[in-house]
Amino acid sequence: MLRVEDIFVSYGPIKALENININVNAGETVALIGANGAGKTTLLKAIMGIQKVSAGKIIFLGEEITNVGTDKIANRGLGLIPEGHLVFSTMTVLENLQLGSYNNPNCFNDNLESVFESFPILHKRINQIAGTLSGGEQQMLSIARSLMAKPKLIIVDEPSLGLAPKVIGEIFNILRGLNKKGYTILLAEQKAKKALEFVDRAYVMEIGKIVLHGPAQELISNPKVHNAYLGSKI
Amino acid sequence: MEVFIAQLLNGLSLGSMYVLLVLGFNLMLLVAKIIQFAYPHLVVLSMYVCWGMLKYTSNVFLVILASIGSCIAINIATEPIFRLLAKRHGLDINVSFVVSMSMTLVITDIMSHLLNYGFPIAFPSKWIGKSVIGFGLITFSSGQAYALFGGIAAVLAFFYLLYRTRQGRVLRAISENSLLSSIIGIPTIKTRVISYAIAGLLGGLTAIMLSKMLGSASPALGDFVGMKIIATSIVAGLGNLKGGLVCGLLLGITESMAIGYLPGSWSNAISFMMMLIVMLIKPEGLFGIKA
Repeated sequence: MLRVEDIFVSYGPIKALENININVNAGETVALIGANGAGKTTLLKAIMGIQKVSAGKIIFLGEEITNVGTDKIANRGLGLIPEGHLVFSTMTVLENLQLGSYNNPNCFNDNLESVFESFPILHKRINQIAGTLSGGEQQMLSIARSLMAKPKLIIVDEPSLGLAPKVIGEIFNILRGLNKKGYTILLAEQKAKKALEFVDRAYVMEIGKIVLHGPAQELISNPKVHNAYLGSKI
Repeated sequence: MEVFIAQLLNGLSLGSMYVLLVLGFNLMLLVAKIIQFAYPHLVVLSMYVCWGMLKYTSNVFLVILASIGSCIAINIATEPIFRLLAKRHGLDINVSFVVSMSMTLVITDIMSHLLNYGFPIAFPSKWIGKSVIGFGLITFSSGQAYALFGGIAAVLAFFYLLYRTRQGRVLRAISENSLLSSIIGIPTIKTRVISYAIAGLLGGLTAIMLSKMLGSASPALGDFVGMKIIATSIVAGLGNLKGGLVCGLLLGITESMAIGYLPGSWSNAISFMMMLIVMLIKPEGLFGIKA
């Protein structure tokens, strides 16, 4: 579904990403794990066309989307849920969801119903200003907003950032539920354990390169990953 | 009492002109992230277009269409310049400020060299309309009535568009977070162009109403109005639309009251003195910065 081929990204003279190859198949959940600064967010930004790619190709559903405008990429069915539970904080929950369905306003009511089914709390807060929601609720709104566009691939950047452990669990349950409904998910996450428990496959990133990849179960039992990211030795 | 009522009406009609310009100015600041210092100058330029059209045709509809159209067209024509600048410098408000300042010089020069040999223009009395209320020197003309009601209608329409329609929601989204807007699929460039068009429309309407209200225009009018628009926007809080609404009206009323009750022309000195005091007490503006 999504194929990233040999991409390079640099911030001036600094190489942020080198020779990255990943692919995501329909129906899968895939994680990018790695420490802060490993280049996970940069890679997601490159896929979404926010960060310019200096070499390589990004192909989504058979079409090249390398360095295409972000809004055009979004309208092709890539839904990024950015880090830091970003919402339009001066607008109401409803307005945020209305903005989410920018590209298909016709299915607004159906989508709204199904989103409220998954997020009953948002239904309760429908006319509340989004900036006054709690962090977890804002993250839910951020996910719900991206679902309003019926994306073909959901890209989630650090969903656990700045949230309480209990809330993180809830967010991962929601993502699991979405995957069961058939959504394909690409996840970037620092909390490797959480991510590996959730996904089918994962790529391990270190300073702009992919150093390991494979099925999540395999990575969990890999001593290198265990030492570096899961915190205890086997 | 009659003086008070007449000056209140005068103030409201003048104030609603300021409000329209402050709104257009702030809309571009919020959505396109530019300080368009030349915006009032563009409005004066379309007053010249209005004056020119009146010489050739008596069709009011055509005159209005030409002056509003020219304001929209010229305002949109400046967009690629600012987009190019943003590409090279990032969205830098200071750069746009300097560039738009040079635009004011060009526009003022065009008006003072090429149009009517640089002399102030006077609109035909038929266009201005008759005096409705008159007390000696204080008058309220039908042109001012047009300005008052037209101004109020335009302001209401603008706020309706911004807070009650899908396009308005998109404009507000971009003004709050343009990156997040593009992530959810909103075309940012197209929306920015729309904000220029809306500001141009507000400017064109203001040009028509100003020409009816003032009855004349000069190349220096742009600088004169521009200074007040910038000052009012800062006093209200940059990017604060509701603040701009209140402060624009207040400025208009203050000026008319000063004209009505004080000898000589103290109106500018008084309004700018009030602004100075506000800025000393509340540097972020009366209603807070939103840009």
